[in-house]
Amino acid sequence: METVVQRRISEVETKRDAGWKIIILLLTLILIFILSFALGRYPVPPGQLLEVLAARVLPLEPTWNATVETVIFQVRLPRILAAILVGAALSTAGAAYQGMFKNPLVSPDILGASAGAGFGAALGIYFSFSMLGIQLMAFAGGLLAVSLTYGISIRIRHDPMLALVLSGIMIGSLFTAAISCIKYIADPYDKLPAITFWLMGSLASITPRDVYMALTPILLGGILLYLLRWRLNVLAMGEEEARVLGINTKLMKTIVIVCCTLMTAASVSISGLIGWVGLVIPHLARMIVGPNYRVLLPASILLGGAYLLLVDDLARLLASMEIPLGILTALIGVPFFLYLLLNSKWGWK
Amino acid sequence: MELELRNLSCGYGERTVINSISFSINAGEVIGLLGANGCGKTTLIKTILGLQPVQGGEVLLDGKNIKNWSSAQIARVIGYIPQMHTPPFPFQVLDVVLMGRTAHIKPFASPAKKDVKIAQQALEMLNISYLQDRVYTEISGGERQLVLIARALAQEPRILIMDEPTASLDFGNQIKVLSHVKQLAGLNIAVLMSCHFPEHAFIYSNRAVLLNNGRILCNGTPDEAITSERLKTLYGIDVDIVTVKNRMNQDLRVCIPSRSLAEQDKSLQLIERRKEYALA
Repeated sequence: METVVQRRISEVETKRDAGWKIIILLLTLILIFILSFALGRYPVPPGQLLEVLAARVLPLEPTWNATVETVIFQVRLPRILAAILVGAALSTAGAAYQGMFKNPLVSPDILGASAGAGFGAALGIYFSFSMLGIQLMAFAGGLLAVSLTYGISIRIRHDPMLALVLSGIMIGSLFTAAISCIKYIADPYDKLPAITFWLMGSLASITPRDVYMALTPILLGGILLYLLRWRLNVLAMGEEEARVLGINTKLMKTIVIVCCTLMTAASVSISGLIGWVGLVIPHLARMIVGPNYRVLLPASILLGGAYLLLVDDLARLLASMEIPLGILTALIGVPFFLYLLLNSKWGWK
Repeated sequence: MELELRNLSCGYGERTVINSISFSINAGEVIGLLGANGCGKTTLIKTILGLQPVQGGEVLLDGKNIKNWSSAQIARVIGYIPQMHTPPFPFQVLDVVLMGRTAHIKPFASPAKKDVKIAQQALEMLNISYLQDRVYTEISGGERQLVLIARALAQEPRILIMDEPTASLDFGNQIKVLSHVKQLAGLNIAVLMSCHFPEHAFIYSNRAVLLNNGRILCNGTPDEAITSERLKTLYGIDVDIVTVKNRMNQDLRVCIPSRSLAEQDKSLQLIERRKEYALA
């Protein structure tokens, strides 16, 4: 009798524990969100921010000048939202892939989505497309690369997961070589630096339209993965076992690949190449809430959003000129990842 | 519930491993599947589970061919206990058992309170409730195997299939796991278990099916089916089967292997010859 009662209590506690952790992560994200407005060349203090935001719904007399409103709605808010969106999308895709490939060292670009998107963007810049054109090219390039990877992998008569990873690596290399090719022939005074900067990743020139554009594919992929998060647990036990437990693994794998590709390609198309977020954040989330995707996925979303927002704040504040985001995520992400590897049982205990 | 294999042939690609075999399992029965490495035990099991395509014949559940059943449909009837393994992520034991509920819950849903209750009952049935909050990757191999049995029970299956459930377990854990298998038959579940050791089939099964070169060598009660001649055919070694009493005064049949003297002589000669070479 007593053991039953104790067990009930411990069960309730673990559940509530995870719930609290999610709430704390959410509060952290909100805190960094408000802080991000207050930082920068034109700081907006939290009080004023609330007033301006409230004025959108309530009939308030403006006590601030019009510049504040422009800074908030045209400059800072789109950039902050984009950082959260991209960070959350890359982390979610990374977490889902790590489960599907049963490997905690997998990142969202494993099937070539980033290399493909980079190629699309480089091509768009080379042909002097508009910003919108470049973004669409990047998105299409990401989808194309993963479609090629998938199409080739199902023709390889081998362990299907290994086939996917192998063809992903090869297609990724192919598109990376194609990027180098475009860089080599591009105008070295005008196009080449543009391509190089784009590939380094940045959110400096984000507009509200960019956020709207990326929102649809990211939400589509994210919501579907979120709904299927229990099944991601079962998929992480291995393909054969998942089938025996009642999952249509072929369909499930295709859905995961489509969702992750939509999210990754959309992210890369507005932000450029931002590495390490999709690999490190799921690890960190797993250390905080455990491996169960029921809580791991929401934790990854919140943590990824908060992390990239923080790094983007550093990117615009650390030096007198913007530091490319891709460089910072690697500079922060790699030492952090090494720290995890050295200080925990392989980082996914 | 009855599982029937009718003229079933299966294999990988063009190769046929199992050649037109037929037998059936009824509720409450434990069948021990015996055969040498590579005789097709695992292939047969994977085919029944729908992981391998059927090359010929049919798998029938209560007379219905399950060829076109979805994985979820099969999982609601057939539970599977794999060999002990280590997943890449440190899931909680309760979560591992809850995975057995997947076939019963809607695609977009997570396990509900009712499912947690069923999972806890499964753990209780195997006397391992104390493992509930432990980390699956950190418990012992024997405990992990019991958790996998609990997961299969949470599926509420009517047929349980085990592929050498005691492979890579130590002596004590083999006995602990197998004694639970017998208990499962008492729940009116049909159990098909491939065994490493003929002795396990003697103790824990009602019927033994002996597989040799993709065909059934014999299908009968363990005492009838498992004889020294048949074990010689299956494994290629001489075995004496003797009956002894354990300390609880129960009769047990045990297998005592011996290699023929001629073979031992041959290996002795080989060693001698090698010594001579070394000296020369």
